[in-house]
Amino acid sequence: MTATRTVDRRIGRILMVGGLVSIALMLAGLLIYAAHGHPQAREIVRVIHNREAGRAVDVFTSLGDVRRALAQRPPDPLAVTALGLVCLLVTPVLGVAAAVVGFLRVGDRDYALIAGVVLAMLLASFALAAGG
Amino acid sequence: MSPLAFVAAIFATSVLAGGAGALLGLGGGILLIPVLTLVFGVDLHYAMGASIVSVIATSSGAAAAYLKTSLSNVRIGLFLALATVAGALVGAALAGVVPTRLLQLLLGVALAYSTVATLRQIRIELPEPTEADPLALRFGLEGVYYDAVLDRDVKYRAMRVAQGFAAMLGAGLLSGLLGIGSGAFKVLAMDHFMRLPMKVSTATSNFMIGITSAASAGIYFARGDIHPLLAAPVAIGVLVGAAAGTRLMARLRNTTIRKAFLPILGWLAVSMILRGLGLWLP
Repeated sequence: MTATRTVDRRIGRILMVGGLVSIALMLAGLLIYAAHGHPQAREIVRVIHNREAGRAVDVFTSLGDVRRALAQRPPDPLAVTALGLVCLLVTPVLGVAAAVVGFLRVGDRDYALIAGVVLAMLLASFALAAGG
Repeated sequence: MSPLAFVAAIFATSVLAGGAGALLGLGGGILLIPVLTLVFGVDLHYAMGASIVSVIATSSGAAAAYLKTSLSNVRIGLFLALATVAGALVGAALAGVVPTRLLQLLLGVALAYSTVATLRQIRIELPEPTEADPLALRFGLEGVYYDAVLDRDVKYRAMRVAQGFAAMLGAGLLSGLLGIGSGAFKVLAMDHFMRLPMKVSTATSNFMIGITSAASAGIYFARGDIHPLLAAPVAIGVLVGAAAGTRLMARLRNTTIRKAFLPILGWLAVSMILRGLGLWLP
């Protein structure tokens, strides 16, 4: 039971850190955006209500989009928020990766394998999404 | 509504959705999508993108706390995630080939039956132990948690593992095919088939929904359905709400959680049957 608790805590820590880092980035982005007088906010809210009204320029669809917007001087605050969202989306995957390592460390090969197969399927689904 | 008021209202709604999701083992999509589209008039695509973010936020926010208190069972979660993730992959590949409406109708009928079955066990605080399931013994699908309400350690072991695994495969398949979250089905399979304590079922479902949703989150992001100005207040609100929900869970009975879960199950059954009959679209 102690070995299981060690793995539990390791995964729990990853999920908590992932959540906190995501919140910090998202909040920072939103606050900087608000401090800049939230340019075009009304327009953005209109698009959130009806996507057909126009493609939102502030929606990021790839990591490259986010990186480019962060590289601007000054960086796009909504890109900081988007980076927080990306951190949140990959947190469960990191949790499963932590499970693989954790079970290997406590010598539980069965569950290291099970977690490894789940991780492989998740990565395959990412690859399929990127290809599709 | 001014942009600031819009963001504030979305945040407040998300705190509630996160709290309910953490207690009931759901991602909150079932609660959030109707509110975002019907009350706030949000475009359905963005509402669905925000919903997938909310599922992962609920999972991360709640599972971190549940893992610490051993309410989430990682072994059971990963063992069953094999079935749900595989099912979701196959389901996504079959989307467009299988008649969706017939599936929704069948699913609605199955859920209506489950609602009645859950109603029958509504007063059962902890399931009676029966003969050990060989698969549960082989894979160590058991655990112990401290129940603050009962003021004692509760030991449990999964029963009818094969049925539970098959139900999870079905849940994953349907979530891939229909693009719906499957937190409610996961809770149902663990509570109904595997006879785990209700708190363990919802807490383990919370751990699992993040994993299953991560598989499809990339697709929503690449499609441009995740709008930062909508998804970020949702995610922050849900994370805060989920953390609060985990504190409340410790003080509730298993039967109370099951009673709160029942209307969600009934609502799902009705909405699936109506969609299957082509009477309701969202």
